[in-house]
Amino acid sequence: MADHSPIHVGLLFSKTGDISTIETSQLMGTLLAIDEVNAAGGIDGREIIPIHYDPQSSPGLYRVLAERLVLEDRINVIFGCYMSSTRKAVIPIIEKWNRLLFYPTLYEGFECSSNIVYTGAAPNQNSVQLAEFMTASYGVRVYLIGSDYIYPYESNRIMTDLVLQRRGGEKVGERYVPLNAVHDDFKSIIADVKDKQPDFIFSTVVGNSTKCLYQAYADAGLNPRTMPIASLTTLEAEIAQMGADVGAGHVSAAPYFQSIATPRNLESLEEFKRRFGSDVIPNAGWEAAYFQVHLFANAMRLSGSDAIDALMPNLLGSEFDAPQGRVRIDPSNHHTCLYPRIGIANGSGQFTIVRQAIRAVHPDPYLITHSLGDWTISLDTPK
Amino acid sequence: MVVQKNTTSELLRSLRTLSVAAFHPADEDGEELLRQLRRIGCHAQAFWPPAPRLPEGADVVFIAVRPDTAVPNWSEDRDARAPTIIAIVNYENPTIVDMVVKLEVHGIVASPIRPFGLLSALVVARQIRNSRAAMTRQVQRLESKLAGVRHVAEAKAILMRARNVSEPDAYQIIRDQAMAKRTTVEHMAYAIVSANDILFR
Repeated sequence: MADHSPIHVGLLFSKTGDISTIETSQLMGTLLAIDEVNAAGGIDGREIIPIHYDPQSSPGLYRVLAERLVLEDRINVIFGCYMSSTRKAVIPIIEKWNRLLFYPTLYEGFECSSNIVYTGAAPNQNSVQLAEFMTASYGVRVYLIGSDYIYPYESNRIMTDLVLQRRGGEKVGERYVPLNAVHDDFKSIIADVKDKQPDFIFSTVVGNSTKCLYQAYADAGLNPRTMPIASLTTLEAEIAQMGADVGAGHVSAAPYFQSIATPRNLESLEEFKRRFGSDVIPNAGWEAAYFQVHLFANAMRLSGSDAIDALMPNLLGSEFDAPQGRVRIDPSNHHTCLYPRIGIANGSGQFTIVRQAIRAVHPDPYLITHSLGDWTISLDTPK
Repeated sequence: MVVQKNTTSELLRSLRTLSVAAFHPADEDGEELLRQLRRIGCHAQAFWPPAPRLPEGADVVFIAVRPDTAVPNWSEDRDARAPTIIAIVNYENPTIVDMVVKLEVHGIVASPIRPFGLLSALVVARQIRNSRAAMTRQVQRLESKLAGVRHVAEAKAILMRARNVSEPDAYQIIRDQAMAKRTTVEHMAYAIVSANDILFR
């Protein structure tokens, strides 16, 4: 007799705290995919039932709640985490109990847990392309501003290395702010920026304080046309928080922007709006959260079980037509082949895509020295 | 392979007498570290954050290298009696590895801590620390030996000039003086070189 019991999966995305906006969008991307799978008959007739906890942006709670999902809810698969500190908090639990985590966020690389599938960009899939574009379009003097944690330190190391490869390349400033930074925290930094006059700013500020940086920049009367803020983490959700007028002209790199004009993307956006309205704003985190559920569902159709040992062989090497293009889990490192893109924020709060990869770029999470001008990562200008 | 039936090495036998200072946050990993160190039989105490100076009296220091906590600069405390230092890391990116490199540790342990592997890491780190200390001592001995040889050569040259004697005779004079004064040839030579500097320059 066929098994019709539901499959429970765990979701760890914060609805409160410093990173609630981006993680709420990841939560909604996850729920959209679960809805789609269930509407199409589930996984061979078995319904996916999500169990969501709110870890309130606190690494300690991610660990506690991951353990609760494993021990009390008997969950085998967890979707979640944005900041590296929260992923690191969950790793001991999933490795100890041999469970699977799908991690839908760009991060600084240098990790490959056998218990994780990474569906966000590694630095070779966004930092290099962004550095290439910024130094070619705006100039080679950079000012670095970041949140005070490991992802910004490491991203800034890579950006500095890349900028210094250009003739005359220079880092003119490097400043860090707390994760809960407010408008005033950026005032002295922006004053220093005005003084140093870099060609562009590289921001690794994450979460809800992102809008304060861009607002402080706008208040100081700086001009994005000549000195834009470049970022890997300022996406549609953050632009909506700050307002389209404040964000316009600034540059971001990501594998996904809402503005990708393919039928596949439009279909997902339409479906999302129909089911969940337009309060939550789709972005790269949302898209990775969305397609990783489908990768899971497809793998489980083959394995018939959600145990990691049964799922993993079917996940590694698997492909899916995601809104960004056809993605694939690289079997050698558990990261995902993605399509780097560069977008410039426009007046309607969307990104105008100015560069994009035609072929998926393979993830290389252990790359220490990145190089500008690598033909394997060079992007095309869309027609 | 035939296992050699040697006596247990001092590195292993001394494990139970080791005093260990563990700089680690008070979390499950820190508890696991202390539990395993105590199982091994070390006298282990945990502290957080890391002390600005290397703790006195510790044989081994574990230090968690965390992105959000500055690494202390212990370089001034690193004398011949300084303890074995082992880093504990939970990130492996170049930013963190650079922090570890600057600490000049003798070993590294990955977080999450697993009981298995800690004893081997501890013993090998102690061996590296001991052999590094022994090498430093040997380098110091050789440096002073070399300085002595240089002084003897210089003293011989001074005597050969001043007393118009051959090289073997000059050496014999230094040796006889050293015997009479109950000191070493190197020391005697150094006295001649110093006196020469004062008297004739």
